[in-house]
Amino acid sequence: MNNKRPLAVTADPARRQATLGLLLAGTLLILAQSVLANTPTIRLFPTTVVEDLKQTGNVARDMETGLQEVIGRLDQQQQLFVESKCDGAENDAGCQRLSRQIGATYLEMLTIMEERLPDMEHTVNNTRISLERGLRNELGKKMTPWQLQETLVGKTTTNADTESSPTLRGRSGMRLSERFKQYYQLVATSGSRGDQSLAVLASDIYLDMEETSVLIERTRQEIARATLMEQLNQSFGIITPEMMEVVGGVKTILFGDEDPQALVAGPPPGSVEQAYRSPLEQ
Amino acid sequence: MNTQTSLPIRILALLAGLATLSACASNEPGCPSPQTRNLDSAISFVKTSLNTGCEAHFDRYYDDLLTIAEGDPKPENKRIFSEFLVWSGDQGLLSTRQAQEYYNRFFNVKFMSMKGDYNNCSHTCPNKQRVLFDMERELSDKERGLLKVSRDADGYYRADRLYQEVELVLEATCTACAAGR
Repeated sequence: MNNKRPLAVTADPARRQATLGLLLAGTLLILAQSVLANTPTIRLFPTTVVEDLKQTGNVARDMETGLQEVIGRLDQQQQLFVESKCDGAENDAGCQRLSRQIGATYLEMLTIMEERLPDMEHTVNNTRISLERGLRNELGKKMTPWQLQETLVGKTTTNADTESSPTLRGRSGMRLSERFKQYYQLVATSGSRGDQSLAVLASDIYLDMEETSVLIERTRQEIARATLMEQLNQSFGIITPEMMEVVGGVKTILFGDEDPQALVAGPPPGSVEQAYRSPLEQ
Repeated sequence: MNTQTSLPIRILALLAGLATLSACASNEPGCPSPQTRNLDSAISFVKTSLNTGCEAHFDRYYDDLLTIAEGDPKPENKRIFSEFLVWSGDQGLLSTRQAQEYYNRFFNVKFMSMKGDYNNCSHTCPNKQRVLFDMERELSDKERGLLKVSRDADGYYRADRLYQEVELVLEATCTACAAGR
């Protein structure tokens, strides 16, 4: 029997050490990879949420497109009404005709909104419900406040992380479709972000969906009431201040505010010295 | 009858006693505050005082030391305070938990007000307002420890941002928890 072991490296201690070193490094690498793979990640954005956001953005864009022309026409008619000094001249025949035209365009706007809002409501509610479930289970039931805080702080926070993290609430001044497009992009690229950004992003979108949902519900109720009122007004040719308020509100929601956002200066650059880490630190 | 007439006298005597006690506590001659503006010297002075019967004044001394450190803010003050607190723990003046609380409240980005062993839906959400109020107070201590004592602007701004993030995430999470009931 041939017991020779030509591949054995035991004869050379240096080679043996090198082989052992390589084996050890390999084992450590595999171990590190498996630890990384097993690191618990919070599941706040299932595929359905991403799709819902995309869908909501499309529905919002369709609504904007449909309304843009009508609102533009309303603005022109309103301008003509003011320039013709019709305010306070309700008995003038020309002004009455102008008022009825404005009223008819207003009704057209309400009808478009009434047609489009159910789709919008449906997709917004789907997003809201998915996020609600995720937030309740992942952050509400699976985490203590300390774990939540650690998730938000992250293991290492660099300036680049802070710069790339999503903006907090307050998106007035932005088109509705643009807002959802931005959400979709943020969520779709969320794989490269840490859990801390995801938690903030999910909370931000969820609260926005909550508000939007309530707003859509109220708007639908208001449209039903306003339609009835305007149908009555058509007989008399009256432009109510309420009509102008509703138009203004719709413009703000769909196309954003005109007011520029105040820019807040960032913090001054901090010390670049190596931070001290106390044994008491938690 | 007799008890009725003596009641005002008793109340007066009690008030006088309380006044004497409080006067003793605030002006105890043996436990003065450090007079130096040098942090190392002040710490030596405080250590001596704490070892010679003034341990009940730990809070005041800690506050004095922070005030002195504010006069010469630098990153290494974190280490100086940490070592002082570790020493206090070794001397039996503070428990480990107390030492951690004193250190982290002032010098760490994370909030001790967010300590808790139960899940957020059951424990944090019902007390959300109190938790946020405690965090707000802790943030002003962090401003003192991180910004004014250690000159760690990045750390303080991160803590400030963390507070805002917690506020937002708790609002959303607690709304979601309430909707699931």
